[in-house]
Amino acid sequence: MTENRTIYLDGVYTAYEGANVPTLRNISLEVREGEYVLVGGPNGAGKTTLLESIMGMLKITHGSASVCGLDVRKEGLQVRRKVGYVIQNFAFDPLTPYTAEQVVMMGRYGIMGCLKRPCKADFRAADQAMHLVGIEDLAAKPIGILSGGQQQKVLIAQNLAKEPSLLLLDEPFSNLDIAAREFITGILENIAGKGISIMMVSHAFDDLPDRDIRVLVMNDGNITYDAVSHPGDVEARVKSASGVV
Amino acid sequence: MLECIIPNNIVCHAVEAMLFASIACSVLGVIITQIKISSIGFTMAHAAFAGAALGLFLNIGSTSMAILCSIVVAMLIGPLSQKAKMSVDTTLGVLFGISMALAIFFIAYMQYLGRGFNANVLLFGDVISLYREEVYSLAIISLVAVVFVALFYKEITTIIFDRKIAVSSGINVTPIYYATLFIIALTVALSLNIIGGLLLYVWLVTPAAIVYQFCYNVRDMFMLAPVVAALISVSGALYSLEVSLPVGPFTAVLFSIVFALAVIISPKRKISRSKI
Repeated sequence: MTENRTIYLDGVYTAYEGANVPTLRNISLEVREGEYVLVGGPNGAGKTTLLESIMGMLKITHGSASVCGLDVRKEGLQVRRKVGYVIQNFAFDPLTPYTAEQVVMMGRYGIMGCLKRPCKADFRAADQAMHLVGIEDLAAKPIGILSGGQQQKVLIAQNLAKEPSLLLLDEPFSNLDIAAREFITGILENIAGKGISIMMVSHAFDDLPDRDIRVLVMNDGNITYDAVSHPGDVEARVKSASGVV
Repeated sequence: MLECIIPNNIVCHAVEAMLFASIACSVLGVIITQIKISSIGFTMAHAAFAGAALGLFLNIGSTSMAILCSIVVAMLIGPLSQKAKMSVDTTLGVLFGISMALAIFFIAYMQYLGRGFNANVLLFGDVISLYREEVYSLAIISLVAVVFVALFYKEITTIIFDRKIAVSSGINVTPIYYATLFIIALTVALSLNIIGGLLLYVWLVTPAAIVYQFCYNVRDMFMLAPVVAALISVSGALYSLEVSLPVGPFTAVLFSIVFALAVIISPKRKISRSKI
């Protein structure tokens, strides 16, 4: 049973440096290959902290955490090379000197390792990711002049170029229009169908895939609700578990 | 190295020193300006200045102490920001203040003790009275800076773009960040006698700021910044030596003029205006 486990957290505590109390408390969670997980809950509940703990970007103070078969506490760097993470609240300078293609290629840099140049396989992976997200025409454009939605797509392509075993997304729909949301939802559903697990923090419940998805609700650093739900019921369940009437 | 082109030894050493200092500073300047820690330039320069003053006070060689103090400050930036929960910019401001205070203290104390000390060389530089070894060390550090950027180009450009994205991509950010600070510290300390603590900032920031006006690609910035810096520095040095003007300050003014022209004719400025 353990071989198809993508995320395994057992009694995990995470605290920011200098904080008196842990941000995540006693989190136990298991996510399997190809599972589609939505994480909801109020602001400050610990949703982003959960994603960053899974990525090994925050220090796990207690408990054990294994992602893609790797110990997060000891092999954080390797975990980050296998897991895609689309960050929240990005803001790029309009004149920042990077093209969309260069930003997508950054997704490959960790896997390549130090002192190695991108090879054909890396360029192919970046091209495929841009094709999948539908941004080939933006490849040569400076990222700073793109709209928020286009930048969001570039970041999603960057993480798909990594060919991840697990994709974490933090509010991926926040900058997207309705058409783009539907398009990205379709891509994520397709990815999950290929056995890649998806964990997404979102407050947008209109654009969920047409399949049963697992819903986690976090409150005050704990997972207070964990159940599989039909997309139409997700909003009501998240609201109810978050204490919103 | 350039004796076959410039027969006069003094002029030759001056031109070589300006050439190597400008290459090293401008390559590192692209990182400094794009990562938005420009204040690292004057903080490191003043740490080197304080180290040089301490070296002269203790009679143990100004350059070695300048290098040591710059490296200590470079290694303090990250941990101090983290422990004191301050932004890197605030930390740089604090370290700048401490370095300046120490430098002034040692200079004033030496004057009080009656030990004559002229701080002009450390503040404004002196390309006329350089030893061959100083020029060679600058050549080595400029080579180190260029090779470092070439070897870790993909990691450096990702860190410059967004540190969080670099971390999540699986790049080992911390060693590369500290190696960059280490090379900046060495470059600043070795350039102190040539350019001076007060003017070094111009060499670190202005070339990158000039090419930024024309480049939409960070790779072009890394390629063009040393070329522009070398052209301005060498022509500034040659002209000022020819007409007996202070080399460092004259070249710094030349950098500023080129920067002003670059801003005026920048295609980016036209784009910004047309958008309005």
